[in-house]
Amino acid sequence: MTAAVTGYMHSKSLRGKMAEAVKHGFVLSMLVFAFFPLYMMFNISAKTNREFYRQPWLPTAPMHVENYVTGWETIGASIPNTLYLSLVPTVGALVLAVLASYVFARYRMPGHNLLWSAFIILMLMPGVANLMPLFTLLRNMNLLNTYTALVLTGIAGAQVFNIFILRNYIEDTPEELFEAAEMDGAGPLRQIWHVVLPMNGSILATLACLSFIGGWNNFLLPLLVIREPDRLPMAVALYRLADAYVKEWGPMMSAYAIASVPLIILFIFTMRFFIRGVTAGALKG
Amino acid sequence: MKIITFRQLRHRWGLYLLILPALAFICTFSYFPAASGVYHSVFRWDGDEMEEYIGLENFTRAFTDEVLLAGFGLILILILTNLVKMVPSIATAVAIHRMTGERWRYLYRVLFVIPMIIPGMVWLLLWKFLYDPTFGPLNRVLSATGLMRVLQTLGEWVGTDAFATGAPAWLGHPDLVLWAYIFWGFPWVGVVSVLLYLAGLGNIDQSVYDAAEIDGCGWFRKFWNIELPLIMTQVRLNLILMIIGTLNGWGLIFILFTDTGGPNGKLMVPGLYMFRKAFTDGEAGYACAIGLLLFFLILALTWVNNRYVRVSK
Repeated sequence: MTAAVTGYMHSKSLRGKMAEAVKHGFVLSMLVFAFFPLYMMFNISAKTNREFYRQPWLPTAPMHVENYVTGWETIGASIPNTLYLSLVPTVGALVLAVLASYVFARYRMPGHNLLWSAFIILMLMPGVANLMPLFTLLRNMNLLNTYTALVLTGIAGAQVFNIFILRNYIEDTPEELFEAAEMDGAGPLRQIWHVVLPMNGSILATLACLSFIGGWNNFLLPLLVIREPDRLPMAVALYRLADAYVKEWGPMMSAYAIASVPLIILFIFTMRFFIRGVTAGALKG
Repeated sequence: MKIITFRQLRHRWGLYLLILPALAFICTFSYFPAASGVYHSVFRWDGDEMEEYIGLENFTRAFTDEVLLAGFGLILILILTNLVKMVPSIATAVAIHRMTGERWRYLYRVLFVIPMIIPGMVWLLLWKFLYDPTFGPLNRVLSATGLMRVLQTLGEWVGTDAFATGAPAWLGHPDLVLWAYIFWGFPWVGVVSVLLYLAGLGNIDQSVYDAAEIDGCGWFRKFWNIELPLIMTQVRLNLILMIIGTLNGWGLIFILFTDTGGPNGKLMVPGLYMFRKAFTDGEAGYACAIGLLLFFLILALTWVNNRYVRVSK
């Protein structure tokens, strides 16, 4: 990307500068829309309801930081649960996907195409179509009202997309590396450990981020599966908050701000991999 | 890539063990429920014990079910509008790509990742607030600028009482809710799509641009002849995901209106209808039949997409 495009549109003319300004203006206006909810979340989180209805857009004089105490009381307790419900399926789905996509990328054995289609066709399956039978299955397995149900279905759901993406990346890993490892007598597991993982860090981090966010915002299945209110994961708790008859905007937005803290931390650490993973490698369709 | 024949399988059967865990998961949590869904689609089933074989009755019923047919009509409208909604993401990616200076391009990429941390619910609440009849900014702006008068006259002309009060309930009136839903999320820039398109654009060689420059290509021809073909892979991927998402999508409608499908059920998409049949009305067998129809529809659309939306390298 570097040398290829630098210099493009490099005309120093007035028209070139105008064009440049138009591009920046357009992108910036899109960014304003994208960032606006973030601003409003923090802005409203420090308001009382009266202040919110009078002046929702700008910060108002006394900042009601105590809203955050109320917000914490509402959802603080569900944070450890939600972390567990996001992390375990993320790791599980990634481990299973790495193992399977290594085989799909490097070998063609009998049944290869059949097995591959078995995974890929699931990308087309309408989620709701399965919901009722899945619910019945979980009930028959005595998993209703357990986190195990959410972890297992979470792994099953996330791994398909992971396998779909990872196969392409492992296929692009230089063959010599695998051959060298084989020369040293490394079996599939050691090849995965010493070649696949180090060579595909970016995309692994990207996939991990995506499934973590998915788990963090997971809403529908927990709503159906978890019965006891105090064990509900965060997304459902937040939904309940917004569904209340009288909305307390300040504490509610504080709760949302608190809810996004783990994602902020996650992104601080993985941002560079994330951008590289999505941009440089290019997800291939 | 290594080809393993049946004969070598005796030594390499271990490879199947690596796929086995993943396979076990999808068999249990995807294929078993799917098979059970297919099985139950020919039963009258309340989702619990009561089962009665009724043959293809669920399917014949689906083809004459007016709510369901209206739902598919709705899906068609939504797919067409979602097609238009893909444009802003492409435009943003192209604008960033054409900027001079690697620093700017990197900065914008970073900036487009950050909004992903915003909880989905915040988006939802703000848009709901925007449409609020009494406090919502939309109605306030319309009243203040006098545009509300125009809308009122227009409304009378079209024959709707939606604007009669002067404070239209955008999400509460049957004549408005579809428009409000389509406009939802303006300007429809998806951060992940922007990054994906940028990835595709990064493959374009400078010499191609130089040649275009010499030929005197305008900005649109550059886009149409150079950039669009190179991001066609990503466009196609996004297109498939969009169609699947639209056919499956009902989460937002459910959160906004529960399973009623909005005022007069104007937003009763097939997915939501299926959910309602399964979990509210106790007609799980019928819901399974609808799910099966949806699956075949998605399969057909994906096939059409693969066939007719070509990728030229």
